[in-house]
Amino acid sequence: MAGSSLHPFTILAVAAAVVATTTAAGIWWISAAVITGCLVLAIRAHCARKLVLLSCAIILPAFTSQLLIHAVAATHGTRILLAAGPVTITAEGLGLAAALGLRTAVLVVAGILCTLLIDRHQLVAAIDLSKAPPQLGYLVAATLFLLPQLAGKQHAIGQAQQLRGVDAGWFQRLRLRSVPLVLGSLQDAAIRAPHLAARGFPATGSRTRWRTVPDSPCQRRIRYAAVACTLLGPLAILAPVWMGA
Amino acid sequence: MSPHLILVETSDRHRQRGRLLTTIGTVLLIGTYLMLVTTQPDGLVDGLGQGVALATFAAYLAAAILLLAAVLPDLPVSTLTLIPVALALNILLGQLVGSVMIPLYLDSIGTVMVGFLAGRRAGAATGVLGTLIWSLFSPTVLPFAAGAALVGFLAGTAARFGALRRVYLAPVAGLFSGVVVGVISAPVAAFVFGGTSGVGTGAVVAAFRSMGDSLLSAVTKQALLSDPGDKALVFLLAALLVYALPGRLSGGFDFVRRYRVLGQRGTR
Repeated sequence: MAGSSLHPFTILAVAAAVVATTTAAGIWWISAAVITGCLVLAIRAHCARKLVLLSCAIILPAFTSQLLIHAVAATHGTRILLAAGPVTITAEGLGLAAALGLRTAVLVVAGILCTLLIDRHQLVAAIDLSKAPPQLGYLVAATLFLLPQLAGKQHAIGQAQQLRGVDAGWFQRLRLRSVPLVLGSLQDAAIRAPHLAARGFPATGSRTRWRTVPDSPCQRRIRYAAVACTLLGPLAILAPVWMGA
Repeated sequence: MSPHLILVETSDRHRQRGRLLTTIGTVLLIGTYLMLVTTQPDGLVDGLGQGVALATFAAYLAAAILLLAAVLPDLPVSTLTLIPVALALNILLGQLVGSVMIPLYLDSIGTVMVGFLAGRRAGAATGVLGTLIWSLFSPTVLPFAAGAALVGFLAGTAARFGALRRVYLAPVAGLFSGVVVGVISAPVAAFVFGGTSGVGTGAVVAAFRSMGDSLLSAVTKQALLSDPGDKALVFLLAALLVYALPGRLSGGFDFVRRYRVLGQRGTR
């Protein structure tokens, strides 16, 4: 994977800088260029199909909603394209919906690309090695690794209920799958707690870690620059607009 | 015996830091909300629009992270092991409900359960963490972290004041929580995303807009239509699940014992 030689925080910091400055700029061709750039990166990392599918699943309903709110039920704009009863489509409304759709698309595509490029083990290790509270690394790791386990457990419970011959309506099906899943999971959590506490969790002080996270002085400089860009980039872009207003 | 086996050291400085972070986070959240509601900035994508979107996004996210930073170091191990399960349940039950084609979200059951069992601080932390982790799969939820924290916080508050002692009180508490969460989250939907992210909710907002409402007003009304019902059901289901837990499991939480969260049921 292309992102495996990069520190997870480098990817996240660069994505935050790109999203913040692109949103501040609010220029359609910059947003389109960022989305194209993300697609190129995804093609190089062999995850373009996943990126497109996952992004479309979020962007399409959001864009349809923005079209309904700003274009179909337009309350502003003078260039009327269609007027039929409560539906008034204006050119300005369509432009506004497109601009909002692009703004959302940049956030979604950049965010999902980060998820696809970042290795979850590296992310957990990076959080552990950072100055964040040790509890945060545990919670992120435990949730990410519990998800497939619980999904498997839910599947097994469903199969067991089918073997019992229980295949009633949706409410019964939901109840018979979710109640054993929740009770079993909480029971497991209750058993885990004293074991973790007995091992001195959450640990204070430094510990030796076997997993190393790829990092370099160059990446650190990129991260600092990206954080500065996230904070100052929008200000630099928007300050002249505010002055004008 | 201590539930942690190892006693947690809490110094005055540590406690003051937690209070300071909580205060800053709360002030930031309420201040941003009041600023947006009172000024209702014009233009979503031109002039000040981009700045308002970024400022709202940043302020709500920062407030949520500050609240998480204030709470996380103080959580006992029993709560820390409960939170990942709750987060996974939020996602899995949300998907399960989606798969049976009913028009509900029910994606905060885990957060509400943590609030009921471990208190409002743990509930708020679960809400923020859940949003942060869910944003890995759906980045648009990120600015709603403060709203999710509020759900957990209000669930814990409701449990503390006896909402689980009678089964009918839980949905009533959920209804009120839904109103508060809907109102607080509306500016994010309006000013960051220019509306909502779902087609059904978008149609409702469009209907209010065509009746002459401002964007914030239309989004708030839509939130007041969907959130209270959803939260009432979530609170009720979470309460039923907590009732179904064995007494030794629910009684293992200090919060449940101290505030007699389950009333007569807890003494079985």
